[in-house]
Amino acid sequence: MTAAPPARTPRSPFARYRHSLWLLTQRDLRVRYTTSVLGYLWSILDPLMMSAIYWFVFTVVVKRDVGEDPYIVFLLCGLLPWMWFSGSINDSTRAFLKDAKLVRSTKLPRSVWVLRVAASKGIEFLLSIPVLAAFAIAFGVLDPETGLTLHWTALLWIPAIILQAVLIVGLGLIVAPVVVFFRDLERAVKLVMRFMFYATPIVYSFALLPQSLHLLASFNPLAGIFSLYRSAFFPQELDWLTVGIGAAMSFAILGIGVLVFRKSERAVLKEL
Amino acid sequence: MSEPTVADGRPMIEVEGLGIRYRRNRRGRRSFKDLLAGNLRRKRPDEFWALRDVSFTVRAGEAIGVVGRNGQGKSTLLKLVAEVQLPDEGFVRVNGGVAPLIEITGGFVDDLSVRDNVYLTAGLHGMSKGEIDEAFDEIIDFAGVGDFVDTPYKHLSSGMKVRIAFSVMSRVEEPVLLVDEVLAVGDKGFREKCYARIEQMLAEGRTLFFVSHSERDLRRFCTRGLYLDKGRLLLDGPIDDVVARYNADQA
Repeated sequence: MTAAPPARTPRSPFARYRHSLWLLTQRDLRVRYTTSVLGYLWSILDPLMMSAIYWFVFTVVVKRDVGEDPYIVFLLCGLLPWMWFSGSINDSTRAFLKDAKLVRSTKLPRSVWVLRVAASKGIEFLLSIPVLAAFAIAFGVLDPETGLTLHWTALLWIPAIILQAVLIVGLGLIVAPVVVFFRDLERAVKLVMRFMFYATPIVYSFALLPQSLHLLASFNPLAGIFSLYRSAFFPQELDWLTVGIGAAMSFAILGIGVLVFRKSERAVLKEL
Repeated sequence: MSEPTVADGRPMIEVEGLGIRYRRNRRGRRSFKDLLAGNLRRKRPDEFWALRDVSFTVRAGEAIGVVGRNGQGKSTLLKLVAEVQLPDEGFVRVNGGVAPLIEITGGFVDDLSVRDNVYLTAGLHGMSKGEIDEAFDEIIDFAGVGDFVDTPYKHLSSGMKVRIAFSVMSRVEEPVLLVDEVLAVGDKGFREKCYARIEQMLAEGRTLFFVSHSERDLRRFCTRGLYLDKGRLLLDGPIDDVVARYNADQA
């Protein structure tokens, strides 16, 4: 009949997936930062505020060693990754619902809706690292008495970030489709997250848990992951058994997540 | 996607034994078992088949019109072809990309500017940044929103929103075009512009899948018709025959 439409640049499904993921992540960040003047500041103000509170409680009021010294650095090493974790899981509950119209009208691999949540929160986490660096420098360099230095174990941040991403995506793949069916779970997740905050060694050190609870607490993958982060400044926080169990748990959760997601995808699309 | 999409008669859309069922009562009780039931063939009592045993093949360059009363599965069929719904039975195979004009404003974000939105939506439908750069002025021109490029999307009038959305989606250079009754909106002038654009795309050899209640539009664009009733494909033939049969059934 007639001429063909202009040929498109061929793209592999993987490249297309990555491109869509990047676009959606960018969009999330842009929306967050164009709708509020303070943009970036808000995303670091929250952990800073919380750090200030815990610092005040444990070093000024109670004066009890719950972690390492300087406490604020110890705290931020757990709190910043925690913000990534809790922010992602809370947002995963709305991963489909928030963009229902887009999910209904655009053919993208459905997992992209979960991954972009983990990705945009992950970027915020990376952007908040300078805050930790600033405190570490303030205490380590300007106040040599604390003896704070960076150890080779700082390299463990790389596997820690990877493990945490695996865990977040795995949980997201479970939470996102399930909430579409049981909307109440949105609140339940918030509640569980609050519990998890205290059940995870964030404001305290893993070592302070009673010995009898150590093994049980290791099954919380965050315990191992946070011990990796902390080992950068406090090598004694590193506990390989906990890390090993945490890594196994993270991958197991990812496996379950992939299964749940695949099984429920069809039903989720009908429900949206 | 790189090969030319000339109307050479090769199958573009293959639909075989397609079936999808929905719950009758959306507020019904749910259990985890439902969620994970996957594609079990068993039909539960509160479910109905929105489509069943639908099979047809669309060849490159064909323009198909889908007719049927409300709620007979037309839009569902379109969504299955767009692969934004997954079938419980059978399969849909689309050889090449699809530009779905379904809920076209769905991808637009209220808080972002028109410019950001254009880049986002076109990008999600597979256009690269370079391609969008090239097409950008044309997209804005076509929609006639030149003065609002940096305005947040939410501040546009609803007519403008649809215009910009159509403009973007019609630039997505995919070989298959799916059109749901979106064109019923917008003023007469713009509607005519949209129609001209669709005709141009058809002339370029694209395949069209069109859902409409308007006999005039169906006859204008389509050569072949599919008549859906109660989720079954009642008739598949030349558009004039299909429209005639549909009208006869309505009477």
